Amino acid sequence: MTAAPAPAEPAAARLAASAPWDAEADDALVCLAVRDETHDVKTFVLAPREPRLFAYAPGQFLTFSFEIGGETIHRCYTLSSAPTRPHAVAVTVKRVPGGPVSNWLHDTLKPGDTVRALGPMGAFSCFSHPAPKYLLLSGGSGVTPMMAMARSFHDVGEPRDVAFVHSARSPADIVFRGELELMARLDPTFRVHVVCETDSADEVWAGPKGRLSLDTLREAVPDFLEREIFVCGPKPYMDAVRAMLKDAGFDMARHHQESFDFGELPEADKEAAAEAAEALDAEAAPAATVRTFRVEFAKTRRVLECPEDTTVLDAARKAGIRLPSSCAKGLCGTCKSKLTSGTVAMTHAGGIRQREIDAGMALLCCSKPTSDLVVER
Amino acid sequence: MLDVTPTPLQRLLRERRPGYTLAAPFYLSPDVFEADMEVIFGRHWIYVGVEPDVPEAGDVMVVDIGKTSVAIVRGDDDQIRAFHNLCRHRGARLVHEEKSTVGNLVCRYHSWTYDLTGNLIHAEHMGPDFERGCHGLKPVHIRSLAGLLFICLADEPPADFDAMAARLGPYIEPHNVRNTKVAFQKDIIEPGNWKLTMENNRECYHCGANHPELTVPLFAYGFGFAPEEMDEHDRANAERYGCLLKTRHGEWEAEGLPSREIDELDTMITGFRTERLPLDGEGESHTLDTKAACRKLLGTFTNAKLGGLSVWTQPNSWHHFLGDHIVTFSVLPLDAGRSLLRTKWLVHEDAVEGVDYDLANLTGVWEATNDQDSELVGICQQGVASPAYEPGPYSPHTEMLVEKFCNWYVGRMTAHLGR
Ligand SMILES: Cc1cc2nc3c(=O)[nH]c(=O)nc-3n(C[C@H](O)[C@H](O)[C@H](O)COP(=O)(O)OP(=O)(O)OC[C@H]3O[C@@H](n4cnc5c(N)ncnc54)[C@H](O)[C@@H]3O)c2cc1C
Ligand code: FES
Ligand code: FES
Ligand SMILES: [Fe+2]
Repeated sequence: MTAAPAPAEPAAARLAASAPWDAEADDALVCLAVRDETHDVKTFVLAPREPRLFAYAPGQFLTFSFEIGGETIHRCYTLSSAPTRPHAVAVTVKRVPGGPVSNWLHDTLKPGDTVRALGPMGAFSCFSHPAPKYLLLSGGSGVTPMMAMARSFHDVGEPRDVAFVHSARSPADIVFRGELELMARLDPTFRVHVVCETDSADEVWAGPKGRLSLDTLREAVPDFLEREIFVCGPKPYMDAVRAMLKDAGFDMARHHQESFDFGELPEADKEAAAEAAEALDAEAAPAATVRTFRVEFAKTRRVLECPEDTTVLDAARKAGIRLPSSCAKGLCGTCKSKLTSGTVAMTHAGGIRQREIDAGMALLCCSKPTSDLVVER
Repeated sequence: MLDVTPTPLQRLLRERRPGYTLAAPFYLSPDVFEADMEVIFGRHWIYVGVEPDVPEAGDVMVVDIGKTSVAIVRGDDDQIRAFHNLCRHRGARLVHEEKSTVGNLVCRYHSWTYDLTGNLIHAEHMGPDFERGCHGLKPVHIRSLAGLLFICLADEPPADFDAMAARLGPYIEPHNVRNTKVAFQKDIIEPGNWKLTMENNRECYHCGANHPELTVPLFAYGFGFAPEEMDEHDRANAERYGCLLKTRHGEWEAEGLPSREIDELDTMITGFRTERLPLDGEGESHTLDTKAACRKLLGTFTNAKLGGLSVWTQPNSWHHFLGDHIVTFSVLPLDAGRSLLRTKWLVHEDAVEGVDYDLANLTGVWEATNDQDSELVGICQQGVASPAYEPGPYSPHTEMLVEKFCNWYVGRMTAHLGR
């Protein structure tokens, strides 16, 4: 007697994955876990149904397509996860008051749900600009690309001097606070500085207060002028940082910034994201299981494509083909036609007899194809 | 007494000599024809077909009576209704084929759509003030007598239809017309006035000389004879027939088949006559071998030897109900000198052609007979057009029913036109 094989451990299976994730082949990502980062920031861990390995540069983003309230909406989210842990990806999302997507993600997306995404894309990554010393500057949810970069360096253990200066509204709004502190404690080449605008209800901020200033920056990272600088955060924040660095005589060729405002993205990224959105849309049609059938009109030798949720008459009208009709509701029988082949779903209103239906006739105004059709018209 | 100058037709009616054929204008004049269409075909019950002509919901049959076209429709409630076959929009003819099946009745001109009860249910572009309810199809009176369909174009049809139906119905019902199908229909245009077609039908004086096929199953004696003129042989046969008739009537009536003669041909507005007559030979059917033409018998019959039930109605029909099939005839005038004779052969609805019956055998006797009669009507029409024509006398022994037809006709015309 042999022992039954142990059931495959899903996590083990996932870790055993060897094929890279190919978004073109499978754009569906399943939400594996949802984590609370702060009161208004959550992290969503995502992976394909079939175990796959993710390859990306820290700082890159995915373009997502969400079905919200019957509408398809696209948004970009930077991967907050590090490619050094390739078995899943994570995005960290901050609620935007009144924002349709961020709030939907927070309130609705739960483990087991599927979202669709294409990517990775974007040139905003430390990997594109190798340097011995980095300065990562972030404000609010702009922390995500910085976190991906920090985690990557931390994981690979290469000696790299990384200074991370984050601006938050209050101590309660510091995203990844614990993890950042942990990395700093473990790795002497990684230093974290947080600037808070105000105290929070249960914590008086002991560190630098107010907004990031040149003085604060100098004090925290005195050698900032020697570093490759990455900046991400709200537009006013990034504008202020930019002015500050210029004032300080920083070589702006080594200044890199990422905007979470889609309109502000570099043209190449915008195009890539737009193309991804389009690709997701194009695939959405078949994925939403609206099949399309070929309808051939035998006498007039015209052919058209008719989606299964469209009547043959409507499809013909759209294609500029004239078919006799009047009531368009299955009453008058004017559109009665013989189906030489194929089947339809018909909801008529008395314009046709069962015997006629049995003889292969159909009212095209109220018939939706359930197969390819040949119509004697 | 009022001194009113009678119309030529009134004078003709007044001058008609009983026992004699009608004066030439009755067969030739377009004016008389107009009056016939208005009075006889416009105000009496006209036999037009059978329920199996429209066997299922959505079936439509069109019958034209003169200029009037009528659509007979079986609705989803299984009721048969008749409508004037024209659209209430701009008057286009609605149904074009004699027989068709429709979902609703749709005018092909602008797609006005009527349901099978005649309601207008769809009319585009007529604006908010348009009242659909006022534009339904115009109904035509229709009645079914045990499955035989009669229509009347008058606003007020003759009230004695029910009286006829009550007496004639029990004769016809055992043959179960509703459970038959039209195995074959033949329309022929007889080259004669409709009254000549009817007169020809109402006697068998001409049968011996002209109908070698029909006289195989049919005893000519059944339609009258002058005994004093017959030879020994004929007289013996006639006597044999007389006895046969008596015994058979007794037997049939005992079996629940009303058989004895009823004759109201010129005594009712809706005139009719019926009698079940024994057949010669095997006595089963109007076929050349006098055997049943269809293996599936009608109704609940188990024995085909039921003779033939003959039914005549004024002004335009006659019928033969056999044990295995039914032959029904309707005459529809086309003009003064042409008439449509429409013959339908009905068999049990489940009977299969080629299996249960052979179509040529089923229709043979009457197809031949109709053609012969058509020719006879034609030569008569030619003759009455001659200036030398004058009304001739009917045989008191074999042409009593012709006389009754003419009596009824003159009576009905007179009732409507006055003397
Ligand atoms: C490259 C990139 C990376 C991002 N990464 C993160 C992240 O890591 N975490 C995070 O919280 N947010 C991120 N964002 C912002 C995120 O995409 C949403 O804008 C945010 O979640 C608010 O969306 P919302 O629908 O809730 O609110 P809204 O107020 O409706 O969205 C904010 C505005 O952004 C515009 N917008 C956002 N994305 C797109 C897009 N793909 N196409 C067109 N218009 C767009 C909308 O039109 C709207 O005006 C990123 C944005 C970009 C462009
Ligand atoms: S257009 Fe009237 S039934 Fe189709
Ligand atoms: S005439 Fe019938 S719809 Fe116009
Ligand atoms: Fe005859």
